[in-house]
Order: sequence, then structure tokens, then C-alpha cells
Amino acid sequence: MTSTTVDTAAARPAVPSLRRLLANSGISLTAVTTATILIVLAVTDFILQPALLDVTELGYLAQTALPLVLVGAAQTLVVLVRGIDLSVGGIMVLANTTTAVWVGEQGGNHQLLVFAILGLAACAGLLNGLLVAVGGFEPFVATLGTWTIFNGLALKVLPTDGGAPPPSLINFVFGKTAGIPNSFLVLAGVFVVWRILRASKLGTRIYAVGADEERARLNGTSVVGVKLFVYALAGLCAGIAGVLLAGVASSGTPTAGDPYILTSVAAVVIGGTSLAGGKGGIGLTMMAAGALVFISDIVTEVNLETWVSVAASSGLLLAVVIVRSLIDRVAERRSA
Amino acid sequence: MNPVLDYLRERRTTIAAYALCAVLFAIATIHSSGFASASNIRQLLVFASFIGFAALGQTLVILAGGLDLSVPWLMAFGGLQLSNWTTHGMGGVLGIVLVVAAGAAIGLANGYGVAWLRVPPIVMTLAVGGLVQAYLMSIGQLNSSGNQAPRIAESIATDRLGPIPVVALVWLGFAVAAGVLLSRTALGRRIYATGASDTVATLSGVNVKRVRLVTYMLSGAAATFGGVVLSGYVGSTYIDIGAPYLFASIAAVIVGGASILGGRGTYWGTVAGALTLTVLSAMLPLFHLDTADLEIVYGIVILVGVALSRLGANALQMSRRGGGEEKPADPEVVDVA
Repeated sequence: MTSTTVDTAAARPAVPSLRRLLANSGISLTAVTTATILIVLAVTDFILQPALLDVTELGYLAQTALPLVLVGAAQTLVVLVRGIDLSVGGIMVLANTTTAVWVGEQGGNHQLLVFAILGLAACAGLLNGLLVAVGGFEPFVATLGTWTIFNGLALKVLPTDGGAPPPSLINFVFGKTAGIPNSFLVLAGVFVVWRILRASKLGTRIYAVGADEERARLNGTSVVGVKLFVYALAGLCAGIAGVLLAGVASSGTPTAGDPYILTSVAAVVIGGTSLAGGKGGIGLTMMAAGALVFISDIVTEVNLETWVSVAASSGLLLAVVIVRSLIDRVAERRSA
Repeated sequence: MNPVLDYLRERRTTIAAYALCAVLFAIATIHSSGFASASNIRQLLVFASFIGFAALGQTLVILAGGLDLSVPWLMAFGGLQLSNWTTHGMGGVLGIVLVVAAGAAIGLANGYGVAWLRVPPIVMTLAVGGLVQAYLMSIGQLNSSGNQAPRIAESIATDRLGPIPVVALVWLGFAVAAGVLLSRTALGRRIYATGASDTVATLSGVNVKRVRLVTYMLSGAAATFGGVVLSGYVGSTYIDIGAPYLFASIAAVIVGGASILGGRGTYWGTVAGALTLTVLSAMLPLFHLDTADLEIVYGIVILVGVALSRLGANALQMSRRGGGEEKPADPEVVDVA
């Protein structure tokens, strides 16, 4: 015991000073780690295929990241208030299939219908919020139930892959505005909206509820209200993911949602948002989602089989959580 | 207090799950008498047993406060690995024993990560499941000529002992064993204690880490065995064979009345949950409902089931309070070590 105390005491000054430096500049150590992972993978990918260093090519890559980024954002919001949302996959396919079928069938008024679909997605999220915050259901159980309900509804709208998303949506997803691919603009939009939310009073309350619900309540925060907002916003994000996926794939896919559920959890965790709530953010998840997209792009580029990509993603998840747990343990021992 | 009444009250969620299953079965039989035919019941039992195997370990893991998302990949592992070994001349009973042992070893990795490295169960089992998936994809490339399920798996899945399918008997054996394990052994009491409260269990001398490890190992073994039998029934095996069982294994546990937070529930309840899900999926075509409707009904059953079991728990608490019989919290926890 004593020897470890001495060792750690000697090592103490270096780490906190780095931490303090970062803290002073407003960047967390988690953000630095996640950014490092993203940059290493990005640079590797750029070295392997220099053609990628082109705004149009990068735009296509960002396009493949869009659904995961948005579902990941949805998952992050819910995780921040100590929840979990398995239904993001269901809401996603519900929005996806309705976009491909309902909007596709209409002549004009696309925008209005798409907004109606996004409203529907937010309501689906609100239903989760009601079950969790008002009904007192465990988030896992509530969203397990609504996940399969939404999946079933999506299958009713569109039983097999197909449908025809509106051309304007496809043009938007593949298009550019002022020379910048629209997929970049969407990513930037998500990030900016998130930073505004985070800086707002509501954002502070979201973190307060996630960190300590009871204390937040005592401080006058409406815990129920915050949770309803968070789940509804998560529904909206998952809905946007579904609509965009319809554009990217140029068709509706009622079964596309399921893989995104667990991948979104993986992105949240790799990013560094704590499943215990109150710590992390959408920016981190966006970087992690980017890292996962780079992994699969690298694997495709090097002509490796798909399993390598699966192994690398899972391996990254495992490595990140294990290293974090070891760091936590060291920190705990030091403070003890 | 009436001991019979007490017995029933303690098992009210399990009884409710069987009642739900019986009501559904009755409705289906009234609608179409063929539903109660021997061949249909056999079929139902076989299908339910696959959920039962997947949910056996899931029940133990959830009771101890965890969750196992690697179940579908372990089921695929059971079928694919055994068929892979069989083509290399190592099939038969030995093959099954080895593949189940390998499944237990993968469960051990889950348990180690959760218990010792303190990785959240969702994350640990997700990552390990992903690695198993990657491994299966890599060996799947080797025998692309099609993965014929091994003969022995086929015979377990399709043979009959008199009127009863062998696989149903195996499931019954597992259920009895799990029931005894949970209600009559020290390990069972420790599993409940760990799930109810980590801290209290530790203070009363339970090695919660070891308990968790064992539940994940058993889950790995049971899911792998389930995968072997499932591949035998299907006749061939492929990587997504276990996919429906992630949802089904958790849903069976919840419909069976267990708490997702751990500490409360039984495997007999899960058995009822597996039967209920199977009866539901078999009866819906009779009412001209398709897979989409089935998914919606599944979701409603989960939500309503959980709501009812919570209402029941609240009512019980009220009646206890009314009778002035409030017990100190979980007396069972104290003498677990």
C-alpha cells in the first residue's frame, strides 16, 4: 500500500497540470482522447487513399456517417439523463418508410409532409418520455416495448425494401450548397444546435437531471419536463436520421433500424459519454461515429473482408472501455 | 397467514404469466380447434424451447443485475462452430460439449469485464458479441459451400421420445435444474442478493464478482447450446440465425415477471414468458395478422405486462401496510453467505 502511495505521489504533478491546462481552455481529457482516435483513423484513411482529400469525396463519406451521427445524437441525449433508448431504431425506420411511401406518393408539398413526419417522430419520442418520466417504466423496458411497436408500424407502412423517396430529398442529400456538400452542413448544423442547447438553461438542466435527479428536483428543476423534452428531441433526431437514410439509400428500408440501436450505444460509449448520466455530450458521439465510419472505410479500401471492420469496431469499443476503467481505478486508488 | 395463499402471493407474477399464456392458448383454440392438436402443441414446445435456452442464461444474468446482449451471437456461434468442427471430424457429443464449453468461456470474458473491469454490462456484452460476430464472419468464409447442421444437432432438435419432442424434455430438465439452482442452493440465494443490492450482498459476505461471473458463464453455455439445437432444427446454420433471440430472450424474462433491475423473478416465469411469446406468434396468423402486427402486439404485451406486474406489486405493498405486516427490507438478504 505504502509503496503505491509514494509512486503515485511522484507521478502526481504531471497529469493534473495537463488536466488543468485542458480545463482552463475548456476542453475535457475525454474530448482530447476521442479526437485523437478520430484523427489517427482519419489520417490513416487519407494516407491510404489520398483521393479522399477532396471536398466532394469527403462529402460522400460524411453522407454515410449522417444516420449514425443523428441516431448517436439521439442516444446521447437520453443517456445524459441516465436513460437508454432502444426505440431509436424503430423511430428511424418509421420515419424512413413513411418518407419513402407517403412523401414519395405526393406530387408537391414535400417539405410540409417531411415536417409532419419529423413531428410524428418527436411524438414517438415523447411517448417514450411519458412512459419513463410519468409512467415510471425502466427506460430499457419501455423502449424495448416501443421499439418493436414502431418497427411493426414501419413494416405496415412498407413491408419490404422499396418505395420512392422524393427526388428533392435525394438531391439535397447528394447536393452542395455554395460548394460545400450538404452532408457537411447537416453535421455542422447538428453540432451548432447542440452547442446552443448545451449553453442554454435547458442544457444545464439536462446535465443536472443526469447527474443527480433528486438534487435537480430540489433545485426547482422539473425533472419530468426535462425528460419529456429529451426523449422527444431524441425521437426527432432519430426521425431525421430515418429521413436522411431514405435520401442516401434512395429507397425505404423497414429493417434498417435495428443495427443502429447497438451501434449508437457503441458510439456514445466510445465518445466518452457516461452511461451513468450527466457527463459527456453529442460532440463526443459525433467524433466517435466519425471514427467508426473511418474504420469501415479503411477496411473497404485495403480490401479486407467485412469481419475485420466488425472486429475493429468492437475491439475499439472494448479497448476504450477497458482503458477508461483502468484509469478510473488508478484515480480511485490515488484518492483513497 | 394462510401458507397456501402466501405461496401463491409470492409467485404471483409467475402465475400471472402462465395465466396469460393459458388465456391466449384458449382464445386460439376456441377460434380454431386445430391449435390444440398434438402436432401443433409439439411444434409450439419446440419453438418455445429455443427462446427458453436463450433466455435461461439471460434470466440468471438479469436476476444478478446484469444484461447479456451477446446471446444472439453465441447462438450463431453454437451452430457455426459445431458445423465447422464436424467438417473437420470433431462432431458428435464431444463436439457439443466442447462448443458449449467454448460458449461458457466467452461468457467468462463477459463476466470478467463486467465484474472485475466494471464495464457496464450493455457495453461489455455488446463488444464481446461484436467480436464473436467478427470471428463467425471470418470462419463463415471458409466453408461457403453451405453450413450443413451436424447430424447430432438435428437429432436432438427433431427426435421424439414417445409423443414428446426430445428438445422439450431437455428444456424441462434445464428448467428444473435452474429452478432448483435459484430456489434451493446458496448460489441461487447469492444471485438474488447480488441483483437486489450489490452493497448489501457484499456486506453480508457474498462474493458478488464471482456470482456475476458464474451467471455470464452459464448464459454463454446455455445460449450456445440453444444455438446448436436451433441449427439442428433449421437444418442449416448461418450467422444471423440468433438475431431474433436478442429481443425474445429479454422479452421472455420481462413477460415472465422478472425485474430488469435484478433481484426479482424466476426461471419458471421466463418459461411462461417464452411460451406466451411463442403462442402469440403462432396464433396471430389465425386472426389474419402478419409479422408487422406481431411486432406491435409483442410491444404492447411487454408494456402492459410490466404495468400490470407493477400495479400488482403496489397493491401487495398497500395490503401489507394495511395489515400492519410490513417486514424489514429483504430479510432473505441477511443470511445468504
